[in-house]
Amino acid sequence: MHLNGLTQQLDPREQCFRTLHLKPEPIILKRNLKETIIAATDTSTIKIGETPTGIIVAMRGAITWRQNRIYNYTRLGPFILHITEENKNQLYNALEKAYFNISYEKAHPSAPNISQMPTRLASLLERWIQSMLAKTINNGVLLFDGSLMAGTIDTPVQRLKEILSLARRNKSIVLAFSKATTLRVNGILITEQRLNHEPPYLVETTGLYSKPPQALLGDVYVARLNRSNLSFRLDIDREISSEGRVDALQKLLGNDLHTQSYPETLRLAHILCTFTANEVIAIKHFITSKHGIQIINRPDMHKLLFGAFGSGEVYT
Amino acid sequence: MRLYKKEGNVLQIISFPTECVEKGDYLLVEDDEAGKALIAQVIDVQFAAVPGVLEELLRTLSDGGEPLMGEDIDPMEIAPHITYIQDANLLVCKIRATLENQILSPSSSWLPSRSQSAIKKLSIPMLMKLAKVDGKLPIILGGTKDSSLLTIDASEVDGTLNIITGKKGCGKSHLSKLLMVNLVGYKATVVVFDLNGEYSSLGLTNDGKRNMYYDKIHSFTPSQNFKVSLEQLHLNTVMGILVNALHLPGTSAREFRRLWKSLKEQGKLTMSDLGEAIRDLNCNQHVKDALTSRFHSFANSGFFTDCPGEAMLLDDRLLRSKNQGGAIVINLKNTSNIDRQIIVEYVLGKLVDSLTNWKLQAVFLFAEEAHLYLRETYWDDIVTRMRHYGIFTTFITNQPDTIQETIYRQADNIFLFNFTNEHDLDVVSRAARVDAETVRSIARDLPPHHCLTLGRVVNDFPIVARVRSLDIKTMGETRLFFSNKN
Repeated sequence: MHLNGLTQQLDPREQCFRTLHLKPEPIILKRNLKETIIAATDTSTIKIGETPTGIIVAMRGAITWRQNRIYNYTRLGPFILHITEENKNQLYNALEKAYFNISYEKAHPSAPNISQMPTRLASLLERWIQSMLAKTINNGVLLFDGSLMAGTIDTPVQRLKEILSLARRNKSIVLAFSKATTLRVNGILITEQRLNHEPPYLVETTGLYSKPPQALLGDVYVARLNRSNLSFRLDIDREISSEGRVDALQKLLGNDLHTQSYPETLRLAHILCTFTANEVIAIKHFITSKHGIQIINRPDMHKLLFGAFGSGEVYT
Repeated sequence: MRLYKKEGNVLQIISFPTECVEKGDYLLVEDDEAGKALIAQVIDVQFAAVPGVLEELLRTLSDGGEPLMGEDIDPMEIAPHITYIQDANLLVCKIRATLENQILSPSSSWLPSRSQSAIKKLSIPMLMKLAKVDGKLPIILGGTKDSSLLTIDASEVDGTLNIITGKKGCGKSHLSKLLMVNLVGYKATVVVFDLNGEYSSLGLTNDGKRNMYYDKIHSFTPSQNFKVSLEQLHLNTVMGILVNALHLPGTSAREFRRLWKSLKEQGKLTMSDLGEAIRDLNCNQHVKDALTSRFHSFANSGFFTDCPGEAMLLDDRLLRSKNQGGAIVINLKNTSNIDRQIIVEYVLGKLVDSLTNWKLQAVFLFAEEAHLYLRETYWDDIVTRMRHYGIFTTFITNQPDTIQETIYRQADNIFLFNFTNEHDLDVVSRAARVDAETVRSIARDLPPHHCLTLGRVVNDFPIVARVRSLDIKTMGETRLFFSNKN
């Protein structure tokens, strides 16, 4: 999930991972050219502005897939929501119910904070799109943005388990790429460890465990898909056999582009869902012209108090 | 539309696609608080620098450069708003005047409110009304983009120097014919140097019938129905032809002057007597040779005759058109360069003569591609000295650099058709009555038969109009090889 204009915090949950090691011998990958659908999904959210009673948020999801060497996409949204203290529970509950037929109130006694609502709603949309992808694609490779960590406030274990299970049922394999990680071995990030091997390869990690109620539903690897200097954390569904995992990676290599060691399909999903500045202007135009809602320009306290030194935290 | 910037006399206005503003349109920027409004003309339409547009365009391309195939499920219908913002225009406008209490002033020194100003399109009829471009002698030039007529006042062409220019085939001659017949309609005397023989049939309709100008258009073809006898000529006119057109040196000119006076005293001012006199002349051989060669040029032109019945009295023709108006069309088609110069020298000399003696009030002279027959020194002469005599010239050319810069600087009206060549636009943009950006920007995009009118006739509000058609036999079409084969 991508947060336009919102500071992306690295997950402190990862601090609970101890005794992490990288296997010294990488798994060397070869391209498998067998025609396989590569599909990816990502969502994006952005705070459009504030109103006297709450915030206006836009979110959008993108699904991209490569089939017969052609990239295709479906974009859902933008969905524009006016979130207030009064409607936030109702809104979240309605979306949970619509997407997963579960009432939020049953699962969570307390309401989400209004400032967390954009990420929570986008996460909800993302999980729904992932479940739809898992349901509809057969024998494919499904690329998710982020890790396969569940049991968090916005991703119940059961929900992610169901998505992975749906994918397996349709003979698809989920590969989750993280753009950033805090996992370190000997104080060095796992993605910055250098091996004297010719890419593409995977490096398996060991010694990772999660602290309940969180649950890591995938095994964590470091993937370096080409000669560029970039490596990524890759989570692969734990229920998939070792051969199946390698096969999925090799099909990905044979059916997708990897300009910076990152799958193009996932990159496109990210790009397509991101809100550009002109879209934000257009959305503001939409809410003003169609709904007559005036956005309040609150003074930027950082700028107001600290002048040129007040650019620490940037909100759109 | 919203006011964005003002720099000098240039306004930048943000406009949206639905507002349909084009180059050449006029806008009224009204500031109610100030009680004033700016009248500005759009000289360029650009994309507004909307942030994020580049990203928007780039992301629709995949790595291979092929457009991505996809579908947008947009239940809230935001996409039209995004397109609306992406297609926002930046209108670059030149301030033409300030309107205060229905009175126009050329000032652009005040700043209207950016947040409160209302901007709307100003129709050409309204602009014309404000600018008081009307008058008692209307000439309808054509239609403007907003379906109104662009009407100028014939009296604004009176006493002026005009230029009609544009690239080949865009309708310059057509406009000059339109101006010419309208002036004739208002009983003006018009003389046309018709380089391609296309003005001769202006008295006929397209289907060959006589029109209202039939009796007023008099076409003269040198050496055919336009010949003169030496007796009709004033010595100054002949000397003008010899010195300016035929480049006769000073000593020979003095000898000729003496010879001419002698023949005149004897009552023998004929071509044959002149030839004989030169043959019998007892003087320096070089002088004699110079005079002989000039005499042969005279004789070969076929323009001079000894037969009184063949000789045409140009003064009479001019006088006849003085009362009822008329056009003397001098058909210079099939005339050699030297002969053209002889004829033009003669006609101009005669005109100056008639005007000096107040036989004529004033003459409108239409000169097509004048560089082909007008000597260098005549340019300044025409715009300064002859103007005071009452010769009001309209130059028509597709090579703007053949007209001297001083002419552009003094031009009162410019009728500008399409030019794409930067050099041509640079030349025209030296005109004093308009800014270079307007000329460069608007003229480059003018469609065929559309003319940017600048100067006095439009009270210095440049206006684009499609020149109206005329039901006259124009004969200006280019002869084509393949025309009969299609």
